[in-house]
Amino acid sequence: MNPAVIQVENLVKDVRPGLGLRRKRVIDDISFSVQKGEIFGFVGPNGAGKTTTMKILMGLIRSSAGRATILGHEVGETAFRNEIGFLPENPAFYDYLTGRELLNFYADLSGVPVDQRHERVDLLLSWVGLSGAADQRLRSWSKGMLQRVGIAQALVHDPSVVFLDEPMSGLDPIGRKEIRDLILRLREEGKTVFMNTHILSDMEMICDRVAIIVAGRLRYLGRIEDYLRSERNEVDVTLESVSPEFAVMLETRYSVELRGVRDRIEFRLDEKHVGSLLRTALQTGARVVSVTPHRPSLEKVFLTAVEEAAAADQATDTTKGWWQ
Amino acid sequence: MTALVSCGAIARNTVREALRNRLMYGIFTVSVLVTLGSVAISTLSYVEGTRIMQDLAFASMRMFTVGTAILLGINLLHREVERRTLYTILSRPLSRTVFLLGKYLGLVATTWLMLLCMAGVFGAVSVAAGAPIHMGHFAAVSLLAVEMWILVGVAILFSSFTTPMLASLFTISIYVMGHLSQNLLELANASSDPAVQRVGGWLHQLLPDLARYDLSIEAVHGLAIPAAAWGWPVLYAVLYSSLLLVFASGLFGRRDLR
Repeated sequence: MNPAVIQVENLVKDVRPGLGLRRKRVIDDISFSVQKGEIFGFVGPNGAGKTTTMKILMGLIRSSAGRATILGHEVGETAFRNEIGFLPENPAFYDYLTGRELLNFYADLSGVPVDQRHERVDLLLSWVGLSGAADQRLRSWSKGMLQRVGIAQALVHDPSVVFLDEPMSGLDPIGRKEIRDLILRLREEGKTVFMNTHILSDMEMICDRVAIIVAGRLRYLGRIEDYLRSERNEVDVTLESVSPEFAVMLETRYSVELRGVRDRIEFRLDEKHVGSLLRTALQTGARVVSVTPHRPSLEKVFLTAVEEAAAADQATDTTKGWWQ
Repeated sequence: MTALVSCGAIARNTVREALRNRLMYGIFTVSVLVTLGSVAISTLSYVEGTRIMQDLAFASMRMFTVGTAILLGINLLHREVERRTLYTILSRPLSRTVFLLGKYLGLVATTWLMLLCMAGVFGAVSVAAGAPIHMGHFAAVSLLAVEMWILVGVAILFSSFTTPMLASLFTISIYVMGHLSQNLLELANASSDPAVQRVGGWLHQLLPDLARYDLSIEAVHGLAIPAAAWGWPVLYAVLYSSLLLVFASGLFGRRDLR
């Protein structure tokens, strides 16, 4: 097993929403680790604590309890940070600089040797498709261009661990595809990617493992495939020329819900019954049009986690007395 | 070494930001107009014309340099936090102290650049008006530059934990009281109440003694300036601004950048 690049143990963050107001727990005892070379997705609804977790990892805010390390270093340390690249959510940059000046500035801060800086900046500008606008000031750039230069600054010093907070935000479908490809290229180069995103389809396509965080608590952690495999495997079946008797048998024996127009019916049933059902169907003269495995999406996993969290919160609320 | 490089990069960028800010050019233009206006006003007097011109020009130089330091200093950290430009910088291998120091040095360099330009205009106008230029003028401009170490430090200290509005109020108050701290001490000593004397003494110790950085009268009137008149203030400014930066760094380092 690869060594853990990011290690988070029992992380807690309490914040005071305003002067005199009670402290609120925004991160509640979360633990996870990210292995070398992994693309790790951190998913959750707005206000779940994703960005707070990332800010703790970046040393921008301090945790109230627990511990977090990156490459074996405490997140509060600074010396190792040339091994880290970070794209914040809705990134803001010095808009009086040109794209090239900005990347040179970050390269300078990250200790990129002067003789490699020019080449590295040009390479990054071409990776994110900004070579043509490199000498324009950021003031005149669109949100998508700022997002791209944000990704470029996170990679300008060739870090081994990259943190991306909503990297697809503000990008059109082509831009999203390009960034997805870029992230996959990072994995091929052996880099570790930790990303927050709301766009579940992107995450499903590129992440090796995901953590679902809802209301500050970790609700799921693991490979997407493992979760989907643990779900009941079902198939969608479409048949034609089905006799009324066979249709009744389907409803009674397999408890399926039939949908159909004229003599074509569709239904979903457990994968283990498919063999016997299809044999019976063919024997009764029915024609099999299609048999498609039904695969639950990450969206379903996500929504289930959110619903479970909401239900758990409601249950906790009802057990509390008026004095609590 | 890395910290030095990072500090230099932050400082250079702070200067670049100021140079690309139209406000700076506006301030400089107004300062030039005021200096030129001082020539017109000086013609009203037959005997002290050049002194009046240099007095006004010095006052303008001080006012606009101090104004630049306060205006840019109070926003220095607050804007970075508000606009979140800080996030991508502090995730690099540099500490908040290095960032703060870079910002401080950049702003001091900016005010010096401004002062240098205004001193150039002052020199040119003085020569054109036939007013004398001597070492006293250089000493006065140099001490004004040294005073910026303290003033920028004060502005950054307040900028590290409060809003620009409050930071400007506090910085201006410290500037004014700093120039009057000697008077405050004398006033307190004149009181018969020992408590007032004690408070006056504390305030004199606590507030920066900025009056010693104003050598404009000596410069304009061609009075002799002893070496101690600018040697001690330089040492004092180094110590006082270092203390301010230590406090600012302590406050800024503890802040959660939410």
